Amino acid sequence: MAETIRVIGDTLPGADLNAPLLEVDDLRVEFQVRGKRVPAVRGASFTLERGRTLAVVGESGSGKSVTSQAVMGILDTPPGHITGGAVRLHGVDLLDKDEETRRTIRGNHIAIVFQDALSALNPLWSVGFQIGELFRVHRGTGRKEARRRAVELLDLVGIPDAANRVGDYPHQFSGGMRQRVMIAMALALDPEVLIADEPTTALDVTVQAQIMRLLKRIQAERNMGLILITHDLGVVADVADDVAVMYAGEVVERAGIREVFKRPAHPYTKALLRAIPRVDAVGRELEVIGGLPPNPASLPSGCPFHPRCFAAEDKCAAEVPPWLEPAENHGSRCHFAQEVYTDER
Amino acid sequence: MGRYVIRRLLQALLTLGIVLFLLHYLMALSVQIRGNPALLFFGGDRAPDPAMLEQVERLYGLDSPCYERVGDPCLLPFVDRLQGFAQGDLGTTLNGNRDVAQLLSVYIPNTLRLFVFSVITLVVVSMLLGTWAARHRGRFIDHTVRGTTILADSVPVFLILLTYVYIAAVPLTRWARGIWGSESFMGQVFRPNYNPDYPWTTIIIPGIIVGTVGLATMTRLIRASQLENLGSDFVRTARAKGLKPMRITIVHVIRNSMIPIITGVGFLFAFMLSGAVLTEGVMGIPGMGRMIFQAVQRQEGNLVIVGLTVSAFVVVFVSLVVDLLYAALDPRIRYE
Repeated sequence: MAETIRVIGDTLPGADLNAPLLEVDDLRVEFQVRGKRVPAVRGASFTLERGRTLAVVGESGSGKSVTSQAVMGILDTPPGHITGGAVRLHGVDLLDKDEETRRTIRGNHIAIVFQDALSALNPLWSVGFQIGELFRVHRGTGRKEARRRAVELLDLVGIPDAANRVGDYPHQFSGGMRQRVMIAMALALDPEVLIADEPTTALDVTVQAQIMRLLKRIQAERNMGLILITHDLGVVADVADDVAVMYAGEVVERAGIREVFKRPAHPYTKALLRAIPRVDAVGRELEVIGGLPPNPASLPSGCPFHPRCFAAEDKCAAEVPPWLEPAENHGSRCHFAQEVYTDER
Repeated sequence: MGRYVIRRLLQALLTLGIVLFLLHYLMALSVQIRGNPALLFFGGDRAPDPAMLEQVERLYGLDSPCYERVGDPCLLPFVDRLQGFAQGDLGTTLNGNRDVAQLLSVYIPNTLRLFVFSVITLVVVSMLLGTWAARHRGRFIDHTVRGTTILADSVPVFLILLTYVYIAAVPLTRWARGIWGSESFMGQVFRPNYNPDYPWTTIIIPGIIVGTVGLATMTRLIRASQLENLGSDFVRTARAKGLKPMRITIVHVIRNSMIPIITGVGFLFAFMLSGAVLTEGVMGIPGMGRMIFQAVQRQEGNLVIVGLTVSAFVVVFVSLVVDLLYAALDPRIRYE
């Protein structure tokens, strides 16, 4: 613990350990597409505490991955631009920092696991080199020592015979093992925040469960904050503590995982939950959400979900809904949050 | 890895063998169709003494009866020739009866010098321009680089050569000699022709001109491969690891961009050989290109075959090196 504080003091001046671990506040990101500015994230807010797991759930194009890239500071600029909001790590707004400071934070304090490990790992370098690179760049470790640490990490994430596989190349690993390598790489410098961006989407169902368990175990051991980005509510059910549901670039509902599953306060969440296949509903047709996610370049007026919403009224097309909290620590961006919460709609 | 190397070596040998045979066959056909080059010895239209003709034919290996039959592959002389090559005997020229091996020992170093400068020009200039264009994709610099290189590529080498030799070289040389004197580096470098007293200096400009042959292709190749790698997922990972931009470029972009670059150098090498023929001819460099050109003009069958064998050997060797470099760079090829 003492060492952690020292490291934070070195790389993150002004860090306040009493402040929330990671606080994303009204984050806004726009993309420049053929001269037009298209909003990708329109005010995402959530908080992550030490030792907690936050699931960020949403369809493709809802702004989940862009949010995570903006938090990491690896957004492609141009075309992406952060136009507002704050990303606070221990109370320090990272968006104010220069690129050199942000670079030292990446890997050290915040790390990320990408979806497709095959393309996310460089095919021309051994996995040991790619893991060891973190120690060598951030800690000035020598080649040999970096390799030894890489073996330890590979062992930690459950790669059999790690000492012999450290010199292997990404294409020599199976999909699940490659994702373990990705995780080992992210864990190398013992970051406080780990972002997993759809870590299991490219994997078989059985391997998915193993990777989820691995993430959960390591998160608990190291008391990390884990952000789990996924489009699959089912995957996060027994791993996450909190959920932020994103739709059309904004967080539309935020609450504890049990709360969300039991009493969703946004019609979109409700529809998502109904769309999860259930064992006790065999033979019945699977429920779907009608329509398509909106095009960010031309969002519907008012509430962006209203054209697909089962509870929509005239008001929804006219007015942007406010952030309502039908219960403590349970917020929803819906005009009828209260009614949806109490299941009157 | 070992099996890969052995397979590539065998492939290279096979290619070389096929090329040698084709060369020999074409040469035999030219003798069969066009007539006996030994007749040249006797001034062309006069009918020579049959005994003397036979002697000359024997001297130059043209006495096999297969040369009378159009389409005959002339296998026996082919085997003789290969045996000669294996023993280091490359034969003599028809004109002047000079030892071909000795000629090569003079010509090959000149052409090698030419290629040193042209490969350096090609790789350095296209790397700089390609990287520069990739960094400024879609902007003014990108369009300028692409436009200029295409323009340079659509001007044939001989035009660049003639423009240089007849327009630029003389005033440049005069100007440089006025300042540094005629025996200095600057006084020699702009010369429009080769000077055997300055074998390196007077080959720089011709080397650069040969190097422009593949510049456009190479620049675009490098631009495209760098763009692909800059936008790749593993570069995003490298950024997420907090690596410095310089390290990302060197470790994660350049190495991955090397494969198309090596491929490009490999096949542009063959193009540059033809550029070398023209350049050596126009600028009076006694090299392999000029030798082959003159050999064809003078119907020096043996010299043509030896010259083309050397160039075929070089091309096969370069592609072998390219294949081995692939394996060294990319583990996916190594463990194939």
